Amino acid sequence: MRRRAFAASMVGLGCGRSKQPKLNVFNWSGYVAPETVPNFEKEFGVKVRYSIYESNEEMLARVFSGNSGWDVVFPGHYIVPPMREQGLLAALDRGKLPNLKHLDPAFVRPELTDFAVPYMWNATGILFNKKLQPPPESWADLWSPRLRGKITMLDDPAEVFAAALRKLGFSLNSRNPEELRAAQREALRQKPLLRAYLNSEVRDQAVAGDVMAAQLWSTTAQQAIDAARHLGFVYPREGFPLNLDCAVILRESPRQDLAHVWINYLLRPEVSARIADSTRTATANLAAVPLLGAETRNNPTLYPSAEVMARAEWFETMTPEVQRLRDRLWTEIKSA
Amino acid sequence: MRRLRALFLLPAWAFTLLLFLAPMGIIVVYSLRTKGVYGGVGGPWTIENYVRLFDPLYGVILLRSFVMAGAATVGCLVLAFPLALYISRSGTRKTLLLNLVMLPFWTSFLVRTYAWMFLLRDTGLINSVLLGMGVISEPLPLLYNDGAVVVGLIYGYLPFAVLPLYSNLERLDRALLEAAADLGAKPWEAMLHVVLPLTAPGMRAAGVLVFIPSLGAYLTPDLLGGGKSMMIGNLVQNQFTSARDWPFGSALSLALMAVVMLLLWALLRRDGEEVF
Amino acid sequence: MIGIYAFLHVPLLILCGFSFNSSKFTVWEGFSVVWYEAMWNDGALAEAAWNSLVIAVASTAVATAVGTLGAYGLWKKNAKLLSGSMYLSLVTPEIITGIAMLATFQWAFRYLHLQLGMTTVILAHVTFSMAYVLLVVMARLRTADPALEEAALDLGATEWQAFRLVTLPMLKPGIAAAALLAFTVSFDDYVITALVAGVDSETLPMVLYAMARRGANPVVSAISTVIFVGLGLLIVVSERLQKA
Repeated sequence: MRRRAFAASMVGLGCGRSKQPKLNVFNWSGYVAPETVPNFEKEFGVKVRYSIYESNEEMLARVFSGNSGWDVVFPGHYIVPPMREQGLLAALDRGKLPNLKHLDPAFVRPELTDFAVPYMWNATGILFNKKLQPPPESWADLWSPRLRGKITMLDDPAEVFAAALRKLGFSLNSRNPEELRAAQREALRQKPLLRAYLNSEVRDQAVAGDVMAAQLWSTTAQQAIDAARHLGFVYPREGFPLNLDCAVILRESPRQDLAHVWINYLLRPEVSARIADSTRTATANLAAVPLLGAETRNNPTLYPSAEVMARAEWFETMTPEVQRLRDRLWTEIKSA
Repeated sequence: MRRLRALFLLPAWAFTLLLFLAPMGIIVVYSLRTKGVYGGVGGPWTIENYVRLFDPLYGVILLRSFVMAGAATVGCLVLAFPLALYISRSGTRKTLLLNLVMLPFWTSFLVRTYAWMFLLRDTGLINSVLLGMGVISEPLPLLYNDGAVVVGLIYGYLPFAVLPLYSNLERLDRALLEAAADLGAKPWEAMLHVVLPLTAPGMRAAGVLVFIPSLGAYLTPDLLGGGKSMMIGNLVQNQFTSARDWPFGSALSLALMAVVMLLLWALLRRDGEEVF
Repeated sequence: MIGIYAFLHVPLLILCGFSFNSSKFTVWEGFSVVWYEAMWNDGALAEAAWNSLVIAVASTAVATAVGTLGAYGLWKKNAKLLSGSMYLSLVTPEIITGIAMLATFQWAFRYLHLQLGMTTVILAHVTFSMAYVLLVVMARLRTADPALEEAALDLGATEWQAFRLVTLPMLKPGIAAAALLAFTVSFDDYVITALVAGVDSETLPMVLYAMARRGANPVVSAISTVIFVGLGLLIVVSERLQKA
C-alpha cells in the first residue's frame, strides 16, 4: 500500500504536466539579462525553468547520466568535444537556427560546428589596484616580492599553469612534461608570495583593498572595476588564455524543437546585445556589437583591441595523460 | 521481544541496503576501473588506482588533514562540554538555549564561512578595530592560514558536538553530584571523576560527529585557508572535478574510509564500548 | 557562557549588518533595503526556500522514525552489519555519498524512465541523516536501564506497550535532539543535494551557493538575516508562549 503511494508520487514528480510547453535551461550564474527569459516566455508561450551553476564540472556531474532533465546547457568550448564523444549532445539543425548568420566568424571553430553555438566569451588577465606604480603588465609581475601577501591566483589548475607556461614562453596548452614541470617550479616559487588561490571571491577583496593584484577573468574583473574606480585590468604581455561559452542541446532532451527556438532567440542581435550590456560580458554575436552601449563596446577589458587579441591563445581539450600529469603537479603545488 | 526488535530494524535495513550499501558497491566497482576520456569510468579493470595510493604525497596530505580535524574536534569538545552542561542545568530555559545554539546553523554552511571572512580579513572587523584602537599598525594576517581553517571547522560543526553531549548530560542524575559533594568532593573533582566518565558515550559520539566531517571538509580549506594547504577532502573533490579521475577518487575515498573506520574501531574498542 | 554564545552569534550578526549596506561589496556606503527588495522579488529564491523546507521536514520525519526504531532494535539485538554500515555512512566523504547515490538513481531510473527530483533528494537526505539520528539515540539508550522494560514485561505489558510506555518517553530528549540534528543537516546540505537534485528541486543552499561563490553577495546576507532573525524571534516567542 505504502509502496504504491510512493511509486505514484515518483511518477507524479517524474512527469508532472501542465498545458504550457516547458523548457529547462541550465546556465552560468549572471549570464542573461533580467528580461531575457520573461520576454521569451511571453513571445512563445513557454514556461522556462532557468537554473544556474558555477563551474563546468558542476554542470557535467549533473548531465553526465543522460537523464538529468535539462534541455539546454552552456559548457566552455573545450568541454564540448568530450561531451560530444560521450554522446551527450544532440546535433544542431542549422535550418532551425537562421540567426547563426549573426555570429562572429572568429568564433566559429571547426570542433564546435554542428553541436555548439558560441554564446559569450572571456579571457584571463590581471586585475590590479591603480595605487600600484608602475602598474603590472606581465604575468612575471605576479612573481614580484614587493607584492608579497597581496597577490592572488585563480584556484584552477588550467589557469595557474597557463600563466606559468606563458611566463616561460611556452604554449599554455603544452603537452610536454618537461615544460609542465618547469611551470610547476614557477608556481612553487610563487606560492610563498601569494595571499591565496581564489576565484570570483577575490572581486570583493580587490574592491575593499585587501588584494593589490589578482589573476582573474575579464568579465568578473569588469564587475569589480564598475564598482571601484581604483581598479584596472591588463592583458599580460606574455599572452593569455581565451574561453568561449557555448549553448548546446542535450541529446536526452525531448524538446529539441523548442530548444532550437530558444537558442535562435538568444542569437538575435538585440537580445544578445542586451545580455552583454546588462551582464557586462563579451558577446560572440558580431551583429550585436553595433547595438551595444558605448560603455560596453569600447571597453578594453571586455573587447580588447586586435593588437592585444594577437597574444591570445585558446584553451584546448587535454589528453587524459597530460590531464593526469597536470593534476599530480597541481596536487604537489597545493600541498607544498 | 526479539520479534518486535527485528521488525523495528527493517526500515533501517531497507534504507541502508538500497541507498547506502548498493551505492557503495558501485563506488567499489568504479575504483577498479580506468578513467574515461572525460570523467566517468570506462576502460579495463585494474588495481592501479590502489597502487597509486602508496605515494608519500598523499600521506602528507592525510597527516595534515588528521592534525587539522583533530584540532577542530578538540576545540569543539572544549566549547561544547561547558555549553551542554550549562544548558542541561538550565531548567525551563533548556529549549530556548538549545535552539539558540542551533540558530546559526540554519543559515547555510557557506554563509557561516563567509561570516568569518568578514571578521578575519585585512579590512575585516577584527583588524579594523585593532587598527582603530592603535594596538597594531599593520593588519594582522588572520585569514588564509591553518588557524582560520580550524576556527571555521569549529564554528561549522559545533552543534554536532553540543547535541549528543546535551542529550547525555541531560539524563545525568543530579543526585550523583550532590552525593559527591556530600562526600567531600570539590566541584571540579566531582566533574572529573563523576560527570566526565558518565558522559563518555556522549563525548565519543560528539567527537566522531565533528572529526569525520572535518576530515572530509573541502569548502573551509578553500575559503578560509585560501586553497593554500590541501586537505584530503580537497584531494577527493579534485578527482571528481578538475582532475576528472573518478576511479582514483573512488579508490582514495574508500582508502580514507578504511583508515577512519580502523581508527574508530580502535578508539571505541579500547574503551570497552560495544559499538558494532 | 556569554562568550560562547557570542562566538556563535556575532559573526552572523555582522553579516546581517552588511545586508543593509547599499554597496554590492563589503565596503560600507550607507543604509539601504534594496537587497531585501531584490530578495523579495526573486521567485526562484522563494521556490528554493520552499523546496528546502519541504525536504527538511519530510526527511527529518522519516529519518527520525526510522533511526529511532533502528536504534531501539539495535539496543540489544546486535546487528553488526547494520551498525557498521551506519558508522561507515558517517565516515563517507559527502561527495562520494553523492556520486554513489546519483549513480544508483540513474541506474534504477534508466529502467523506470524517471528523472531526478524532490523524491530522490528526500531519499538521499533520509539516508544520511538517519545515521546521525541512530548515533544520538543510541548514545542515550546506552545510559538506559533495560531492567525497566523487562519489569514492565514481567508485569504483563506487551512488547509494544513496554516500548511505547517505558522506553519511548525516556528517549524523548534524545529523539528531540536527533530530530533537530537531522533537520539541520538536511536544511544545510549542499554537496549531496546538488548531485541528486533534479530540474524541479533546487534547494536554498544550492541557490545561495551559486550566488555566494562569486563573492559576498548582499542578497545572500539578506536571506541569511531573514532566516537568522526570523527563526530567532520564533524561538523566543514560542518560549514565551510556553511559559504563559
